[in-house]
Amino acid sequence: MATRLLALLGLALSVCAKSSTGNSVLVLLEPSLDKANYSIFFNGLTESGYNLTFRSPRDTKPAVIEDDVAQFSHVVVFAPDTKNFAQDVTPQSLITLLSKGTNLLLALSHKKQTVVNSLAAEFSLILPPPGTPLVSHFPERDTPATVIPVKPTANAILPTNNLPPIWFSGIPFAYSSNPLLVPILNAPSESFAADSSSDSGADAVFEAADKGGEGLWAGSQLGLVAGFQPYGGARVLWAGGVEMFSDEYAEKEVTAGQKSGNAQFVKNVAAWAFQESMVLRIDSVTHHRVNETDPPEMYTTNDNVVFGAHISAFNSETSAWEPYSGIKDMQLEFTMLDPHIRIALPAVTGKPGQYGVTFRAPDRHGVFKFVIDYKRKGWTHLHSSTIVPVVPPRHDGYPRFLSAAWPYYAGAISTSLGFVLFSALWLAGEDRASKKTKTAKIE
Amino acid sequence: MPSSKSTSAKQKSAANAASATTHQAQQQVAQTSNAVQTLLKAYNETTSSRLKLIDTFLVFLMLSGVMQFAYCVLVTNFPFNAFLAGFSSCVGQFVLTASLRSQVNPENGAVFKEVSPERAFADFVLGSIVLHFFVYNFLG
Repeated sequence: MATRLLALLGLALSVCAKSSTGNSVLVLLEPSLDKANYSIFFNGLTESGYNLTFRSPRDTKPAVIEDDVAQFSHVVVFAPDTKNFAQDVTPQSLITLLSKGTNLLLALSHKKQTVVNSLAAEFSLILPPPGTPLVSHFPERDTPATVIPVKPTANAILPTNNLPPIWFSGIPFAYSSNPLLVPILNAPSESFAADSSSDSGADAVFEAADKGGEGLWAGSQLGLVAGFQPYGGARVLWAGGVEMFSDEYAEKEVTAGQKSGNAQFVKNVAAWAFQESMVLRIDSVTHHRVNETDPPEMYTTNDNVVFGAHISAFNSETSAWEPYSGIKDMQLEFTMLDPHIRIALPAVTGKPGQYGVTFRAPDRHGVFKFVIDYKRKGWTHLHSSTIVPVVPPRHDGYPRFLSAAWPYYAGAISTSLGFVLFSALWLAGEDRASKKTKTAKIE
Repeated sequence: MPSSKSTSAKQKSAANAASATTHQAQQQVAQTSNAVQTLLKAYNETTSSRLKLIDTFLVFLMLSGVMQFAYCVLVTNFPFNAFLAGFSSCVGQFVLTASLRSQVNPENGAVFKEVSPERAFADFVLGSIVLHFFVYNFLG
């Protein structure tokens, strides 16, 4: 009851939610899947403000790329049984779309080795052999062993996850080490991947468990839903099966009277993939000397430099960019081939969205860069690089008199004064001497 | 009893020897101090006031040079150009003043026939001005 109310509230709130990169979505729905079976997911997207366009993967219209320009902001691929795709949505062209900033949401197939499954390897996801779906005999339930309730845990994109368990049916995947992967939903610890759910396959799994290593497709090390953040800012979402998005699973009850969390989970995960949530951008970057406001043409070594950055986050409810001061661990690097200075860039109190720091330029001259390189799982990667020259002091930029040299200054000056005094006394004495000789002569 | 006598005799001879050596040392000290005093007395009486003026200037320059050198060796030679400028200012001025003294000294009149004292002083002034020009340029 409470979750129903929550779901309704969530729906109501998200009516105005929009993506930061555009609202046009292309859904590649294969003909064997009925659109009506996914109405909750698709209607949820439409209510959020997206324009959905449906197309079969084998059709060629509407084109995804035309004249080298991406026609849609997001692409959803629900094609688990399609072996051949049309020319413009082959995996290679999907990668091209990614580099143009289009977000992808892909569902894997558990029956066959499709092109989408082979694309997953490019994203550092290791898939089990074809025809080995995820199987779990716990908890006791009346669904087949391949339909599994998964308890979601807190992760990078859903830090507080109080959702009820999620029904899942499909294949798991293993993660290679790739820092761009964002694990979202992991398999339950008692599940494993096997090619049949009867106990006749148990020996193979037992042997693999003994050996360990690559043969063991079991446990919570396997992932079911994962995100990927390539360079360029687009986001990709990999789901182990397409049934997770279906109406049937959204309305299936987990325990008596408690609906599954599929609808809400799928909505949250699509919101992340379509760049609604956890989206940041650097609005502006400023740098100048202390007590100045304009950036100088060049800095001098050992100058005191003030660096500032303004960062906004996208608020999907108001679909506006608002200043965001919540980044606690951003760093600034002052780099010439290697970072000479690497310091924290904290938020400035009193100015929302403004981050600033003051530091002393190093003692080396050269061409330096102010570099912000902020990569956190789930958040947009922030990159900024500003090139400034740092020159050594001009000939009149050095201190005029060195305090270590005062004895020498005193010595030279005293010699000169002594010389002047000596000459004065000498000439005065000469007067007296000549007078003496004169008087002597006179006498 | 005899042992005490011999020891006392020994002590006496030792005391005698000690007193003899101290007397010798005292005599030597007295002799050197006498020598220094006679030297100073002779210097005071024989040199003219002009030469004494030159001599005081020379002593002042020497002290200044020694102090700069001591600072350089003991504390730091950091602005080395400054050290060279200051030290060579003292040394150069010393050389010029010493040459003035030898040219102006009436006892050397036979050696410096064509150089009158005024010409010597003019040379000294000219050389000093050039020296100070270089010193202030190098001082930094």
